[in-house]
Amino acid sequence: MAIAKAERLMNLALCLLGTRRPLTKRELRNSIEAYLEAGGDESFNRMFERDKDDLRELGLVIDTVENLDGDVGYRAQHDNNRLPPVALDAEEAAALGLAARVWQQARLAGAASGALQKLHAAGGMPQHHEDGESSEPAIPHSTLEPHIPAREAAFEPLMLACRDRRPVDFDYRKSNAARPERRQVEPWTLECWRGHWYLAGFDMGRQAERVFRLSRITGAVRSRAAAFTVPVPDQVTVREAVERWAGESASRTARIRLRTGSGYPLRARATQVRELADGWEELEIPYGHGLDAWLVEFGPDVIVLEPAELRAEVVDRLRAVAKG
Amino acid sequence: MASNAIDQTRRMLSLVTYLRDRPGARIDDVARAFGITADELISDLDVLPMCGTSFRGGDLLEIDTDGERIWWRNADALGSDTAQPLRLASDEATALLVAARAVATLPGLRESDRDALRRATAKLEEAAGENAGASSRLSVTFESEGGVFADVDRAIAERRRLWLRYYSPARDELTEREVDPIRLFAVGHTYLEAWCRLSEARRTFRLDRVAEIKLLDEPADPPPMELRDLSEGLVQPAADDPEVVVEVGPGGRWVAEYYPYDSAEELPDGGLRVTLRTPDPASLRRLGLRLGRDGRIVEPRELADSAREAARLALAAYGE
Repeated sequence: MAIAKAERLMNLALCLLGTRRPLTKRELRNSIEAYLEAGGDESFNRMFERDKDDLRELGLVIDTVENLDGDVGYRAQHDNNRLPPVALDAEEAAALGLAARVWQQARLAGAASGALQKLHAAGGMPQHHEDGESSEPAIPHSTLEPHIPAREAAFEPLMLACRDRRPVDFDYRKSNAARPERRQVEPWTLECWRGHWYLAGFDMGRQAERVFRLSRITGAVRSRAAAFTVPVPDQVTVREAVERWAGESASRTARIRLRTGSGYPLRARATQVRELADGWEELEIPYGHGLDAWLVEFGPDVIVLEPAELRAEVVDRLRAVAKG
Repeated sequence: MASNAIDQTRRMLSLVTYLRDRPGARIDDVARAFGITADELISDLDVLPMCGTSFRGGDLLEIDTDGERIWWRNADALGSDTAQPLRLASDEATALLVAARAVATLPGLRESDRDALRRATAKLEEAAGENAGASSRLSVTFESEGGVFADVDRAIAERRRLWLRYYSPARDELTEREVDPIRLFAVGHTYLEAWCRLSEARRTFRLDRVAEIKLLDEPADPPPMELRDLSEGLVQPAADDPEVVVEVGPGGRWVAEYYPYDSAEELPDGGLRVTLRTPDPASLRRLGLRLGRDGRIVEPRELADSAREAARLALAAYGE
């Protein structure tokens, strides 16, 4: 039976952590049973390289040292790999426990639990008592269950590309485009707003900063091992761009008539409400991007008074629906 | 949670550190500290004795258990440095820091929780050192209504009934109802899941649609029920809900991003034919109106007709 990958990785980690002098690839191969069973040099080399990458993903700093004979040696030095002292009180530990359960994305969920396990192992978390009683925090906590969804297939490759600052390319379909288009991007940050993920970065084709919605990326995200060509700004403003699309940053005002009893969210954001006769009200509401589409949803319960431009957009949309 | 080789390796490395400092640790305590089941822990304990610094030299980990407690017999032989606490990886720091920062900025959260999150974040940033850096490349904002949040939070903690004036966008109306809260959760927006005494069913309320809320003195008494698995999505249509078919052009593709659907077929013009299910098709009249030029409801016919009729009525007010 093939030796499980976790056992192989564990052995490699212990060998690298346990040695004072760098170990050559040959020494490691002779010390780890799974490598002896790996078959020829080529398949061993591939396996060994992948395993080192996996351990580095787990946070292990592996030094590569060239010795006198020209052989390459490997070791994980203690000083580079030790967790600095950290001590959390019961409140802080509980807060992090809550934060660790937030991710619905497998990689980050695993990483969050792994981080807590390291803190527990290091003695940085409050201890449970021998009788099995946990040390309950003195103050009760919020009953909230926060979740961060990340169902978009592009999330993980983009997260890694942002982390490692690697350029990517992907097919992207703009909201009103018939076909996706290839985009080459230097990815800066990912941001989740209202449950949707957005990427901000430098679009090489357009030579400008752009924000992409992850659900509109079609097909695979490919990353390239190259350096960024444009400096990453200190402040990246995904949220402002997205809020603008969502019509949240309105600069103008519209005047509408609303049937009494309907359109509560319009009334809730109105800056002025005036009661009219015969079951209508007159409202002043902020006018930003997308207001026309929203107002049409209320059908005959909303009539736009001003500005004329908004009125024309709404009438236009209504005509399209009436025609079917 | 699914356990893959990476997660298991990570966990076993921490286990070795943990066991070095706690000879005779109880299985239950270790499993609790590690957030895993006793069975998962035991399967790790089956692997660890095959690990060491050389399978030939005999210096394998002698870790064994009597089913209740765990001992590492040769911790000294392997060198205690080998089992030192390991630094946090970049992804590990990111996962905790991003989540902690997101929750800490949620309006309505108890101040004691907010403080604890901030203190923990600061300690974690320091412990992670340069590996905390990449966490700034990921951020999450939860939306919430602070005042409503605090009342719901209190009602759940004190097991009390709530009175709500709630806006239903499906019907464009405000309704009043009493509900017995079950849980408060955030997925982008923040929601209350409760037993609704008006509809005698489990309902999910988005906090920014609560127009008014009152904490009642009556105790909450929701019938016992299993919590839903939220990772399946918030809206989970039933198999026997009526079907709605919507055809959209390229500009209406967002429909597939906002509504859970059964199928989305590509159309030659770059549009989509989306088939979805909903318990209340009439609630999609507003979708039909919103789509305008970008699409139309195909089925059911009554729904398509009602959107058209509403548009005609609205146009009449503009003198058309």
